[in-house]
Amino acid sequence: MLTQQILDGLSKFYPETILSVTILVIVFVELFFKKKTRVSGWIAMAGLAAAMLFTFLQVNIPAQTIFFQMVAVDPFSYFFKVLLILSGFLIVLFTFLSDEIRSSEFKTQEYYALLIALTLGGFLMASSVNLLMMYLALELSSLSSYVLAGYFKKSNRSSEAALKYVIYGGVSSGLMLFGISLIYGICGSLDMFAISAYLSANPVNLITLLIAIFLMLAGFGYKISAVPFHFWTPDVYEGSPMPVTALLSVSSKAAGFAMLIRFFLVAFQNAGHPTITTEGLHQYITLPGLHWPEVIAVIAVATMTLGNVVAIWQDNLKRLLAYSSIAQAGYMLLAFVVVSPQGISAMLTYLAVYLFMNLGAFFAAILISNKYKTENIEEMKGIGYRSPLLCVSMAVFMLSLSGIPMTAGFIGKFYIFSALINNGYIWLAIIGLMNSVVSLYYYIKILKNMFLIRPQGDTGAVSFGAGYSVLLLALAIPTIVLGIFFGPLTKFAEYSVQIFGLK
Amino acid sequence: MVNYFFLITLLPLIGFLVNGIFGYKIKNEKVAGIIGSGTILGSFIIALIAFFQLLGMPAEQRTITVTLFQWITAGSFNISAAYLIDPLSVVMSLIITGVGFLIHVYSIGYMHGDRGFARFFAFLNLFIFAMLNLVLGDNFLLMFLGWEGVGLCSYLLIGFWYEKKFTGDAANKAFWVNRIGDLGFMIAMFYILVNFGSLNFGAVFGAAGSSIAPGSTLITVITILLFVGATGKSAQIPLFIWLPDAMAGPTPVSALIHAATMVTAGVYMVARCSILFALAPFTMDLILAIGALTAFFAATIAVTQNDIKKILAYSTVSQLGFMFMALGAGAFSTGIFHVTTHAFFKALMFLGAGSVIHSMHEEQDVMNMGGLKNKMKVTFLTFLMGGIAISGIPPFSGFFSKDEILTNVYLSGNYLFFGLGVLTAFMTAFYIFRLIGLTFYGNPRYDEHKTHPHESPKVMTIPLIILAVLSVIGGFIGLPHIVGPNLIDHFLEPVFASARTILPVHHIEAGTEIMLIVISVFVAVVGIFLAYRAYAKAYKPEVSRNPVYNFVQNKYKVDEFYNAVIVTPLRMLSNLLYKFFDLIVIDGIVNGSGKFFTSLSGDWRKMQTGVIQDYAVISVAGIIAIIIFVLLVVK
Amino acid sequence: MGINYFLILALLLFSIGVAGVLLRRNAIIVFMCIELMLNSVNLVFVSFSSYLGNSIGQIFVFFIMTVAAAEAAVGLAIIIALFRNKETINIDEINILKW
Repeated sequence: MLTQQILDGLSKFYPETILSVTILVIVFVELFFKKKTRVSGWIAMAGLAAAMLFTFLQVNIPAQTIFFQMVAVDPFSYFFKVLLILSGFLIVLFTFLSDEIRSSEFKTQEYYALLIALTLGGFLMASSVNLLMMYLALELSSLSSYVLAGYFKKSNRSSEAALKYVIYGGVSSGLMLFGISLIYGICGSLDMFAISAYLSANPVNLITLLIAIFLMLAGFGYKISAVPFHFWTPDVYEGSPMPVTALLSVSSKAAGFAMLIRFFLVAFQNAGHPTITTEGLHQYITLPGLHWPEVIAVIAVATMTLGNVVAIWQDNLKRLLAYSSIAQAGYMLLAFVVVSPQGISAMLTYLAVYLFMNLGAFFAAILISNKYKTENIEEMKGIGYRSPLLCVSMAVFMLSLSGIPMTAGFIGKFYIFSALINNGYIWLAIIGLMNSVVSLYYYIKILKNMFLIRPQGDTGAVSFGAGYSVLLLALAIPTIVLGIFFGPLTKFAEYSVQIFGLK
Repeated sequence: MVNYFFLITLLPLIGFLVNGIFGYKIKNEKVAGIIGSGTILGSFIIALIAFFQLLGMPAEQRTITVTLFQWITAGSFNISAAYLIDPLSVVMSLIITGVGFLIHVYSIGYMHGDRGFARFFAFLNLFIFAMLNLVLGDNFLLMFLGWEGVGLCSYLLIGFWYEKKFTGDAANKAFWVNRIGDLGFMIAMFYILVNFGSLNFGAVFGAAGSSIAPGSTLITVITILLFVGATGKSAQIPLFIWLPDAMAGPTPVSALIHAATMVTAGVYMVARCSILFALAPFTMDLILAIGALTAFFAATIAVTQNDIKKILAYSTVSQLGFMFMALGAGAFSTGIFHVTTHAFFKALMFLGAGSVIHSMHEEQDVMNMGGLKNKMKVTFLTFLMGGIAISGIPPFSGFFSKDEILTNVYLSGNYLFFGLGVLTAFMTAFYIFRLIGLTFYGNPRYDEHKTHPHESPKVMTIPLIILAVLSVIGGFIGLPHIVGPNLIDHFLEPVFASARTILPVHHIEAGTEIMLIVISVFVAVVGIFLAYRAYAKAYKPEVSRNPVYNFVQNKYKVDEFYNAVIVTPLRMLSNLLYKFFDLIVIDGIVNGSGKFFTSLSGDWRKMQTGVIQDYAVISVAGIIAIIIFVLLVVK
Repeated sequence: MGINYFLILALLLFSIGVAGVLLRRNAIIVFMCIELMLNSVNLVFVSFSSYLGNSIGQIFVFFIMTVAAAEAAVGLAIIIALFRNKETINIDEINILKW
């Protein structure tokens, strides 16, 4: 019986199993191919591709939990698995093409093992339905990212970034654990369904529960870099190797959002209302007196405003993108204010387009630093004339991030704002719109430097190999195409709203 | 059956992307040229296949809808990106890709050595892509996207040689004048959406045919707004002023965009919405009047111009007027027929003019030409074919379409406009043969030591020959009733069937028809004869002192009139507003908010001290603040 | 003994841990304080586990201890790398990344 259940679970756990095996293989292979750095990269890609394949095979599995209600296999986790693999795959390619990494004296191959571990952590974060599992997944992904951030051991900046990251992460997970322990004490269980059932059946001490919830929010907020838990973001993003920054800004953030959504929707769907059993929930009726949407709204507004405003002053491209990604998290949190399927699907849509535009922006930044040896925006004057393809793509990503129509970013924002307006949060939509106007200021500043100011000194054309161009276009074209032809994406997002355990 | 018709538009897009993205890497002109024209040839072949597939179907079922994807879904309102392949759109696609292909080939020779070679082909391909979307789209929104797209390409291509200030001005003028027309189109689209709840052609036309009373205010307003859009794109009074200036672009562009295809978009749009227009008799009369007046005015201007491209440009405006006359008289298929023949002979003459300009080292003034017929035999002969065709001498193509238009106007009972049309036909023959006489006959009036005119390379002359052949025989697809079957009218019939049930039916007697043919041939012959007498000899240019002539030569001072009546007051007003409102209020707000956010940014970033413990303090304080806030509220 | 004593002790420990993280300047001590936070959480789990009479809390404790060990290993490795570069583990001086 027990074995039967475990075997049954394993048969739905192939993607994760493959990633685990890939990690082990890379660690093992490293013993034999010390000099050939790319071998493990290729293995990582093969592992990711295989995981993708087996993820695709899961598409028609009915939503269920496996391993004694530890992990859910449902459309929601499916969406994030696809997203995380795609992102992981692109990051491996970025690493191949980054001069920064290639010229580094440390060609340690754990890099790829850690990258896969982070992806695996993300998988589990998106699908865990037990707080213990969730914590472990969070730590797996965090520990890998600490090491990745400090990958350039000899660089002051890289190791400083890693130290800040590990301390900040440690404190956040400590706060979150304290919250988990309180919830365990209240409900006597770590299972999200059991928590939900307990909260809907028994009166609880509200104040303790609230303290627990907000302590846990610290852990989530740190992962998605929401104000006031965002402080590590700019420093770590600036100090880390560029591909790692890209990875953190997309994979780790997406997984954080998955965890946030699943935890709050599943565990608290009936909390505080023992007498009401609402069908078709998907809305906060959580705690009497606590206006949960307002709390999230305040955090979201603070997050995007701070991100956008502080980004204005930045002249390091990486740091600017860090603040920009904080602001982007704010927009996504806006969608979490409305937890109707419309809101969640808007958020998923945004995450998907964010993958392309943000990774694209980071890849363009990698190429700029490869060829022009600079991360400073002021030193990018006139490079639009020297590498037109690169800079036009950069323009596409920037305009998309700011949400100009005919780009994917517009579609993402459009769905979020229309979800807000449909649910009566017009003022939030207005604040969001104003924020995107402010964000134009710094995105355009980059483009202005690239295109409107003639290059000084060297003005020769700088071109890239075909591989670079292809990858650049592979990111730029979806950013445009998804702005026009977005039907399938929104369909996919609407389908993925089905979270197991929600009626 | 696999539906591969989407390739018609996809191929030019691919051509645009390849030439646009890798253009700067393609050092070999031939490669860029072959990519550019090859993709169009591919589209042409697929359009031909579509044409034959339609022919194989029963006449009333000749529509194929190719749905690409669901585009916008918002509640009950949804629009799919779909192409409508029916006789009308197939005819237009064949013209666009067929003539477009020839012009692409010609451009390989014409643009030889230009440093923007690949960019030029990229823009041309993008134009074809947009134009095909315009004619193939099965809803107003896709049509409008194509409409805007061709406007954008036209803007890019007029200003292609952006180093010259003049081209930039011309591009801007085209852009703004078109914008006025587009506004009309947009408002019309909005009205349609509100009243019919859809933008899909099938749904709108179906609903209009069954539920709208003929002549109602709603349909009149919608059609007038649509027609305003058409006047912008197709250069009709009062929005025709941009087209002559648009000649600043490279000549193949003038041939493709400003003669054969884009400017006929307005005609296509009216024909596509034939049912709507048929329900609005007032708009139909308006179209007829505007068309006749435009044809007449532009022809009088053309008589007095000396710039070879300007003459052709005004001639285009005039011929477009003819097309609108046909539409206004309810003869939609005749309008499309004239679009077809006009595409042949006008593209031919523009390309011929390009060939002349090329060999004369960018000289465009016909007063400085003369006697070229022996030096450029192919160009001369093909140009002559085009000239005979546009003058309306049977059996050249222009005769059939123009005669059919005049017949229809005559039948509709508007004898005044019929008279204007005949007069215009006379002037057409006159100005074209004035152009031919001044350019190819007589004595050379250029410096023969400096300029040595020569025939253009084969890559340019072969398209000329093909177009010349088409100009000669193209009219046989639409023979008059007394001679034989009118193929194009028959083919297009299903598209206009519902409009025809509303419009009055005219029957023509053989005697009347013969009389009309005799009239139109007679005026053409007289025009040619007079022009030949006056210009096909050693001609000495002289400055005319006749005030009327000068007034006409100055294009009736329409530009000046617009400047005085519209542009100057607007500029004064906007200057006032600018000084008062923009500089003080808006700039104050913008600069103020810019400064505000910059200083805010400077302050807020100080929070990021770089010391991890400060961060932790703020975060923990944040949590405590949230908890305290919540506790206060919960209690 | 009621569970409250254990909880109050745990809360005290946790607060000491947080205060240590916020106030101490030596990175190693900061790490120790994070461990203190985690251990106070362990105490909460264990006491709830015994109070509620189910074993889930105790299982969680084992996992926290494991993860804490891993975190300490990573953290110390990073501190060593940083020390090699900067010759300091004073947190106030580690601030080249800012604004």
